[in-house]
Amino acid sequence: MRLIPLASTSLGLIAGAFISVSASTATAAECIAPSNPGGGWDFTCRTIGRILTELDLVEGNVQITNMPGGVGAVTYAMVASERADDPELIVATSTVGITQIAQGRYPAPLDAMRYLAMLGADVGVIAVDNDSEIQSLEDLNEIMVNDPGSITTAGSSSAGGWDHLRLLMVAREAGLENLGDLRWVQFDGGTDAVTQMMGGQIDVVSTDIGEIAGFIESGDIRILAALSDEPIPAFPDIPTAKSQGIDVTGYNWRGLYTGGEVSDEEYQEWVSDLETLYNSDQWQQAAVDFGLVPIWRGGDEFEAYVREQRDIMEELSRDIGVIE
Amino acid sequence: METLNLLAVGFSVALTPLNIALLLLGCFSGTLIGALPGLGPVNGVAILIPLTFAFGFDATSSLILLSAVYFGCMYGGRISSILLNIPGDEPAVMTTLDGFPMSQQGRAADALAISGVASFVGATIAVIGLSMFAPLLARAAIYFGPADYFALYIMAFATIGGVAGVDPRKTLLSALIGLMIATVGIDPISGIPRFTDGNYHLYDGIEPIVALVGLFAISEILMMLGSRAGEATRAVRIDSWLPDFRSILATRWAMLRGSLIGFVAGVLPGAGASLGSVMSYSMEKQASDKHGTFGKGDPRGVAAPEAGNNAASGGALIPMLSLGVPGSGTTAVMLAMLISLNVQPGPLLFERQPELVWGLVASLYMANIALLVLNLPMIGLFTRLMAVPTWALMPIVAAVSFVGVFSISNSTFDLQVMIAFGILGYLLRKFDISLVPLVLGLLLGGDMERNLRRAMSISDGDWSILIASPISVTLYVLTAGFLALSVWLALRDHRREKERALLD
Amino acid sequence: MSIRLAGAAIFMVAAVYTWFGSGYSAPFGDVLGPSVFTLIVGIPTMLLSASLVAFPSGQTDWPDKSGWLRQGAALAILFGYAATLKGLGFPIATFFLIALLGITLGGKPVKSLILGAVMSLFLWALFDQVLGLPLAFLGAYFGGR
Repeated sequence: MRLIPLASTSLGLIAGAFISVSASTATAAECIAPSNPGGGWDFTCRTIGRILTELDLVEGNVQITNMPGGVGAVTYAMVASERADDPELIVATSTVGITQIAQGRYPAPLDAMRYLAMLGADVGVIAVDNDSEIQSLEDLNEIMVNDPGSITTAGSSSAGGWDHLRLLMVAREAGLENLGDLRWVQFDGGTDAVTQMMGGQIDVVSTDIGEIAGFIESGDIRILAALSDEPIPAFPDIPTAKSQGIDVTGYNWRGLYTGGEVSDEEYQEWVSDLETLYNSDQWQQAAVDFGLVPIWRGGDEFEAYVREQRDIMEELSRDIGVIE
Repeated sequence: METLNLLAVGFSVALTPLNIALLLLGCFSGTLIGALPGLGPVNGVAILIPLTFAFGFDATSSLILLSAVYFGCMYGGRISSILLNIPGDEPAVMTTLDGFPMSQQGRAADALAISGVASFVGATIAVIGLSMFAPLLARAAIYFGPADYFALYIMAFATIGGVAGVDPRKTLLSALIGLMIATVGIDPISGIPRFTDGNYHLYDGIEPIVALVGLFAISEILMMLGSRAGEATRAVRIDSWLPDFRSILATRWAMLRGSLIGFVAGVLPGAGASLGSVMSYSMEKQASDKHGTFGKGDPRGVAAPEAGNNAASGGALIPMLSLGVPGSGTTAVMLAMLISLNVQPGPLLFERQPELVWGLVASLYMANIALLVLNLPMIGLFTRLMAVPTWALMPIVAAVSFVGVFSISNSTFDLQVMIAFGILGYLLRKFDISLVPLVLGLLLGGDMERNLRRAMSISDGDWSILIASPISVTLYVLTAGFLALSVWLALRDHRREKERALLD
Repeated sequence: MSIRLAGAAIFMVAAVYTWFGSGYSAPFGDVLGPSVFTLIVGIPTMLLSASLVAFPSGQTDWPDKSGWLRQGAALAILFGYAATLKGLGFPIATFFLIALLGITLGGKPVKSLILGAVMSLFLWALFDQVLGLPLAFLGAYFGGR
């Protein structure tokens, strides 16, 4: 027993030292990242939480909570059942979350939440190894349509997930009818897929540009097309799919939702706070640093956009055969 | 010579008063966090990230702080393995095999000292490897395809057969149960949930740390309660508060071998520290267990896996920095943090931000020395933990395990899973089924399955892809050789015993 | 006998596992599919556990009646903690956990209660205040979250 008081005194001293410097006061607002630390949703919460505090839009610090499970499903269920009317709570989401909803993988429908805003988007790209014989999107389309079995495609989502769907949209636009003929290999991240491509295991990668930008700059890989409306500011030379006659865009936007029973007034307050945040230099800088293109959609406009996206995803998933 | 110059630049970046203070803070809190069951390096790094933002440290200082925490956690994880038979984090599982028997024999101080020095040796070798060959090794690692990873996991499972327990059937069964548990949750390749019974909490599968803490900590409490009242207080004799330095020196070759194996495992993205400690332990046992002392408190059984897991965690920084591919959960968190500090790990990092990379390397050298210096004097303090009576110690261990798990996931469901694993662990221990292979199955199973399926997707269903690359063939040949050697050694021992029996 | 029963129990679990596992299929885009690995794991588990039923090895000694009672009490305390943590809030629930487990493990009641009180507050301070991992001080029963 002698040890415990001893250990606790020394720990207590350290504790005291820490408390005095970190000044973790009681926090009002909370942002839930429905994933483990690291990755897109966690970044959204941590960055937005930090900037909200810096701009004095919230009192004290924003509390960041990680609640992983079921690609966001666990958090969705919890908010719908326990904290639907909590005006202090915001939750990170993205195109990936909406894809899950469209494919019926969340425990509650889209209407269970109020969607606040999107603050930026990662752009989908289609990449090949720099030694690849495939020189252009046109070359790739020709192979995908005429001999889909001869190439292996890969990305960071499951079969039927967003990286895969984007590529299939391109293939379908190019004229491939039996989309199941195109082989898909899932990797744990975009960089995993790219390094496996450099090692010669796979031929084509479809994923977000943010994570793999370093390999483009180093010349290890070549981007055939960016799935955006306009060329990406950081890489103006990369042609869009649209400019090559394939009318497909594939953004992975980053945004936030709050509970479905939050009042209109409190909802509008969040939207206007987030708009202030979006226009700040801090966010514009952080977004670019993380490889995002800053794009703003907020309030009712964003709600309508999310619904439209859900419908598109659902139709596409059904067409392709991911869902019945 | 150029490397040395760069390293000198690195030291000039790292050796500022602020950075040294951060380094010490990181080492200390990392050791503490790593020692708490339920909290590992992932949490340690995640916990300190907000701190780096709050103070607005620059990228180099932040990275120094977080790497110190990372290394500190790897050092700290072994403490509860040795003293309580409860691994502080995943890679420390192997250390329970010989570390806990050593402390029961009254050699806790030796075990802690050996593991501390082994951690230092392993991590230092890894950092030397990192500073010499990082870009080269990263380039080599990309040629490791899914089929090769599958061969590597087969090798890992083949080698653990002889690690623990008497009946090899039970060891294998334990590993298979771990593999079964690893398949619970959403299958990341097809996106469909398996064995979840529609429960969303199971969609991400069983978190290894939750299972680990339940299997070891909760089952330990049940074991104590099950024994007769008089034995419930574990009387441990402590021969010495101070380690015997000759016994540390005696494990030097085990440390070196463990470091090399662990380093190689760490460089391969995805394999990580757990694989490093498994492989180094089983190889060491094969190489030097001449008298059947492994598993009964052999110092080399502590030295090898500790050197291995620390070398692997150092090695894992190579693919993280030079490819941007995280080799483990912890490096994934560090990667996210680097990106949010406007550092883009990847092929150009070494050219574009040499002061950052070399500052980091220099700080890793310093962190290692700091950890050794911090850890050796603390041995006396830690061994005194053994003097705390069971009725006080075990409830605290339970509470710390619970709060560690709960504060990360915010889910009481995880606590129930943990208790259920405690019951499972208790029953398996009663049946003489070692828990270590189960944990390995759980840790490695997901990657093993995914790489098998990736390989099959690439070959369009042709199984011959598994032996199509020279790397995988080499690994299978090594595995076969290893198994043949084990069988031969077992037969020889058996024959010798017979001869001896005849002579008597 | 215990080993045989354990073998049988593992066999049953593995059989159910294999049965469910063989039923999974992916609509498309996945060559090997989600069921093959479960068979690779499930079938050998069935074989090995069956061999334990046929040729058991080792023996087990079970605790006596008071041992079972203490274990039952400990499990009740642990599950009770998981069930009431969100309601009571962290320090109060942890106080009961440590104090009751301490008593079950043979500690003196007064000492266990003191230990529970000190450690629950200390752990709350360590995690919530120092490490910045939020833990509710008062739970839902007291108007907290």
